[in-house]
Amino acid sequence: MDSDKQDFIVLNHTADSGIMVCGTDVRNLFEKAAIAMMQIMVSCKHTEKTRTIKLSLNEQDLPGLMVRWLGEILYLFAGEKEVVSGIRIDSISPSHLAATLESVPFDPDLHEILCEIKAVTYHQIQVVEKDDFWEARVIFDL
Amino acid sequence: MSIQLEKLDNYRWRIPKTGQMRVPGLIFSSPELIKMLHKDQSLTQVANVATLPGIVKQSLAMPDIHWGYGFPIGGVAAFDLNEGIISPGGVGYDINCGCRLMTTRLSASEIGPLIKDLVSAMFKNIPSGVGSTGRIHLSKSDEANVAVQGSAWAVKNGFGVSEDLERTEDYGTMAEADPSVLSERAIKRGKDQLGTLGSGNHFLEIQVVDQVYDPEKAGVFNIREGQITVFIHSGSRGFGYQICDDFLKEISKKVIKEKFKLPDRQLACARLKSNLGKRYFAAMACAANYAWANRQILMHWAKETLLESLSISPGELGMKLLYDVCHNIAKKELHTVEGEQIVLCVHRKGATRSLPPGHHLLPEIYRKVGQPVLIPGDMGTYSYILAGTEGAMTQSFGSSCHGAGRLLSRSQATKKAQGRSIRSELEAKGIFVQSRGKKTLKEEMSDAYKDVSQVVEAVHGSGLACKVARLRPLGVIKG
Repeated sequence: MDSDKQDFIVLNHTADSGIMVCGTDVRNLFEKAAIAMMQIMVSCKHTEKTRTIKLSLNEQDLPGLMVRWLGEILYLFAGEKEVVSGIRIDSISPSHLAATLESVPFDPDLHEILCEIKAVTYHQIQVVEKDDFWEARVIFDL
Repeated sequence: MSIQLEKLDNYRWRIPKTGQMRVPGLIFSSPELIKMLHKDQSLTQVANVATLPGIVKQSLAMPDIHWGYGFPIGGVAAFDLNEGIISPGGVGYDINCGCRLMTTRLSASEIGPLIKDLVSAMFKNIPSGVGSTGRIHLSKSDEANVAVQGSAWAVKNGFGVSEDLERTEDYGTMAEADPSVLSERAIKRGKDQLGTLGSGNHFLEIQVVDQVYDPEKAGVFNIREGQITVFIHSGSRGFGYQICDDFLKEISKKVIKEKFKLPDRQLACARLKSNLGKRYFAAMACAANYAWANRQILMHWAKETLLESLSISPGELGMKLLYDVCHNIAKKELHTVEGEQIVLCVHRKGATRSLPPGHHLLPEIYRKVGQPVLIPGDMGTYSYILAGTEGAMTQSFGSSCHGAGRLLSRSQATKKAQGRSIRSELEAKGIFVQSRGKKTLKEEMSDAYKDVSQVVEAVHGSGLACKVARLRPLGVIKG
């Protein structure tokens, strides 16, 4: 995944860790949050995509949608051993998100696990619109 | 939010009941430790827990309290079964994360220079690291049996002896477990992670008994100075994380519908008497049982490794389970409140049960001296064995601390360790370490934790448990 590491900052939390991400709009914010989480978890050499995954998620509000969205990507890694390598959000509203993900099977020769994220938490979750950009804060359980 | 603290004495600080709080908060600490708490948001979290419906007496924090998510780590809260709630965030993702300590007949002098080889052998035989999978691959029906039977399943399948069960909290089996409430995702993640240590702060240590404080209790615990012990810290792995995640999602939606006013969404909870509350309890019990089976199996492999590496007989090794305790759990327990005996749901998130001498839940062997309370420190200092006290029953719903408690975040620790070789620093102290993760040693170095000895002194001083012995690490394996 191509992304500038400056797109997010890692928040210091005594027991766990978190991210603060900015995006030009909601779609951009959600894409960047997912990329940030993947960058914290795993580093990978360039690999060809092998699987396309369609996600369709419904939640009651944007913060809930953010936790669910990142949680789904985390599950793909932790539960299905799939490393998400491409993210496209097809549509997003305050209660719905549809996305197309590209992924490759986890391969210890190609991927290095940097950090185990146990879960994406609701703790202090924030998804807010600022003057001319969107900002999210997410805390992970490590 | 600024939190007002009232000092009651040198071990107790109160957060007065204000705003939405239903009960006051009470922090067990010491003058040295309490100063550190203003740096994070853990005190606010104690106050937040005090707002939850059906909370009884006080929202409590043990001396190792630090900033968690929802509940603080080191938080204890008891809820009325009729009016109260159960909160997955009050248990944590690693359901029944806990500790197990084994004693041996070996002395440190017999291990001597063999420690390096022993650590390598343990590292080879005990699966560890992020997402590690083990040598056991469970069928769906076996996984259901693990979820219902816990340690008993492991013993039945050749991992240990029946005597181990009475030396495990709740005899290694939590009632009310029901695998039919589990998601396919949880079942999938539990299939191949049994018998794995995990990563982060989980560890296996070969230790030596460094100091005995209470010879009488130590005698009953079969502990003597110079003796080799083995300490395991692990939990329910991805199986537990998934169960917590599944139910938080569901409970969070329900909370929004019911318009519960929560100060933090991670405190999402369900009434204990509701169908959702009961289903979460049944699922949590499955994870608790999985964790007990996991530690039982890890112990068995540790024993096999020692026998093989040292070429000695089981009789010569004499390895026995001292006790196994959980420190992330919600349990229905009998407590005395205002003179009346009542069953409460006690949440311990980073807190260890501490039952006093004579308690009916203790096995005969420990009934005279109280429950062994196992407190792991960081890999460069000490761990402790304490014994449960009546003071814990009267002050903290039978609870004590669970460890040193983090002081630095992982990134702060990594930064502080820059340019240092933590491995060499530990070796200079006679501690040999092997770890799988590149950053593990830096993130887990001693500087990242509070001084466990200060925490234990605060526990001892406040009467939540009493010191029995101190253990010093010789060899450590980490994920």
